[in-house]
Amino acid sequence: MKLWSIKLLGKRCRTPKTFWPFLIFFVVLVVFPTHDQALAYVGPGAGFAVLSSFLMIFIAFLLAIINLISWPLRYFWRLLRGKNAYKKARVKRVIILGLDGLDHQLTEQFMAEGKLPNFQKLRNEGRFAPLATTFPSISPVAWSSFQTGTNPGKHNVFDFLTPEWKAYLPKLSSAQIGNVQRHLSIGKYRIPLGKPSLKILRRSVPFWNILSEKGIFTNIIRVPITFPPEKTTGLLLSAMGVPDLRGTQGSFTHITSKEDTSNLTGGTHLLAKRVYGRFHGSLPGPPNPMVKDHPTISLPFIISSNGKMAEATLELCGAKIPLHLGQYTDWVPLTFKTGIGVKISGICRFLLKSLEPQLDLYVTPINIDPEKPALPISYPAVYAPYLAKKLGRFATLGLAEDTWALNERVIDEGQFLRQTWDIHAERERMFFDALQNLDRGLLTIVFDSTDRIQHTFTRYLHPDHPANQGRDVFQHQNAIEHLYQECDVLLGKVLAKIDAATVLIVMSDHGFKAFKRGINLNRWLLENGYLTLKESGQGGEWFQGVDWSRTKAYALGLAGIFLNKKGREGKGIVSADQVAQLKSEIAENLQKLRDPLRKEMAINAVYDSASVMHGPYLSNAPDLIVGYKPGYRASWASVTGTVMENIFSDNIKAWSGDHCIDPKTVPGIFFCNKKVADDELSIMDIAPTVLDLFGVAVPAHIDGKVLKMDVEKKK
Amino acid sequence: MGQTKVKLEEDLVEKAEKLAKLAGYSSVEEFITHTLESAIAQLEEGGDTEELKEKLKGLGYIA
Repeated sequence: MKLWSIKLLGKRCRTPKTFWPFLIFFVVLVVFPTHDQALAYVGPGAGFAVLSSFLMIFIAFLLAIINLISWPLRYFWRLLRGKNAYKKARVKRVIILGLDGLDHQLTEQFMAEGKLPNFQKLRNEGRFAPLATTFPSISPVAWSSFQTGTNPGKHNVFDFLTPEWKAYLPKLSSAQIGNVQRHLSIGKYRIPLGKPSLKILRRSVPFWNILSEKGIFTNIIRVPITFPPEKTTGLLLSAMGVPDLRGTQGSFTHITSKEDTSNLTGGTHLLAKRVYGRFHGSLPGPPNPMVKDHPTISLPFIISSNGKMAEATLELCGAKIPLHLGQYTDWVPLTFKTGIGVKISGICRFLLKSLEPQLDLYVTPINIDPEKPALPISYPAVYAPYLAKKLGRFATLGLAEDTWALNERVIDEGQFLRQTWDIHAERERMFFDALQNLDRGLLTIVFDSTDRIQHTFTRYLHPDHPANQGRDVFQHQNAIEHLYQECDVLLGKVLAKIDAATVLIVMSDHGFKAFKRGINLNRWLLENGYLTLKESGQGGEWFQGVDWSRTKAYALGLAGIFLNKKGREGKGIVSADQVAQLKSEIAENLQKLRDPLRKEMAINAVYDSASVMHGPYLSNAPDLIVGYKPGYRASWASVTGTVMENIFSDNIKAWSGDHCIDPKTVPGIFFCNKKVADDELSIMDIAPTVLDLFGVAVPAHIDGKVLKMDVEKKK
Repeated sequence: MGQTKVKLEEDLVEKAEKLAKLAGYSSVEEFITHTLESAIAQLEEGGDTEELKEKLKGLGYIA
């Protein structure tokens, strides 16, 4: 019998094998000696890969020597391969400038008002069109379709969250960080033997991997759903999905000298004690993966006044960091010691809000230090340290802009904008550095400031927004217009650096609308007999109190409704022959939902997921995707599986704009410096179009079409 | 990225290749991985509640 050898999809990220960035890193290691550093994952329940700095340096040294010896051979091989790789290419370079959430309608409006001259120029020279987003219109879903050219049924990302079917609990849809299975116990220590498994849950294949397999250079910077980084022959810096050092999606710390016991979402209060005029406390960091039960590693700090009301000094990790009232510090490196010679590096920024009469200090989530990443955040692994050494430390957290600190009023609008624009500036430095180095190949980058600022400042565009009550409505009323104009300035700089042999695509994954009213779908399901609570009648977070033996449907996440299916859910009761009828019934009834306060219909359409997507992962999708009317969205409580008293509620958070609504109402934007003949464009069309521009055959599984772009064969 | 080789019968692989294309997988490896994962998921226990919740902390879209 003949046997075939099948390579199963890799799951673990490994130190890269080769090439020039490694040489640069080697030089960097020699020039900038580092301390004992662990390649580690730190987070809830996860473990460590124990790899001391000595070993890292030794391996780096060894690989550098091998690289040096084999360099001539590899050089000629790449020269030969590279020559062939671009043989069929019609372009020299493709640059994709992603502006997350840039809205088609607003772009059109600001262009009409003459506020976006560079966008207007691009429109005149090439093409401007709405870009159809995915069902549902949520960033991880849409960017996954962008990178794979497929509909969600083929890439398996349907929301930020996906149910853990057996326990009816949410988990991140894009990445999974597993625990280390084997440990060595010595006293209180529990030393992991091996690496934690890291797995990207997005399936199918990014188009840049197909390009890089053909020898075409690709540089991918901060495209959502690229964590953990997948192997490529190019360069990749991960984005959405990268956790903070505590293993969360971003947890800030609010340090005060006045005890505050209120609960915060997305962060924690921390009491600093005043002792002889100085404030003492401990900044909580990651759980200690080397000790049983993973106690939190904290860093003691002292804050002392400099005799001025507006200045203080923070003593932390042996350094003295000046604090100026109302100003963010630069990124401050933090070192957490696990107790057995292994250290974990993070970075954060501090913002002194008040010194007297009470200390009030905001600390950003502790990001993975790009100079010494505790987790792989780039491919090759040295790419992140290379960028940090060359351009300075930068935010590495997936959703780096701290929207929850603003929601919780720990920082105000101005402070949030400052933070967001600082991150934007970091990204811009990376982009232009990469652009300068790109002779040929693909460069793709995504900026997030467009998404975060629209999420948090859309209320200024809507005088009747419930979130405006008791808040400033004037000071930042031009924040969104300013945002679009800054994007225009960025575009102007890009246009100045490209030639006719370069294709420039500027695009977004979805648009934006106001989020004024929340809809608790679980309450609606309860009132309509599809969800049942236990006798106690109380519904808590994550479906506490739900009687699954009598529940036919539930809502989790932002996209829609799941049926409680037999064989999929842990206590499923809906059999396969009941599915079609039940979906149809729920959809019909839900579409009639009317907001009693605003006296209007709240839902445009309810989509059967099987009618808007297809593919091998369809069974993981929400069974129904709810197309909320602009102004509405799943309520905060509904997303986390809580059954509230009312179906409707006002959204009073700073997070006042959203796009998790009817996808037809929130298309993204598409600009190109070349004429494009197609009438209708989809986010899935970008991948096959870029493959085609480089003369690479489009695989059959891709759903998007090759756009008819007016590009002649390069000379 | 780490990879593991598994030996399979030739006719099984041929069938898998055809089905993978029909179903919309990008490769036969993806198809086989998905099939294996689905089978394993049926046998695995659910996740730890607190650990799952903690990992989501700070995600802007949820409270």
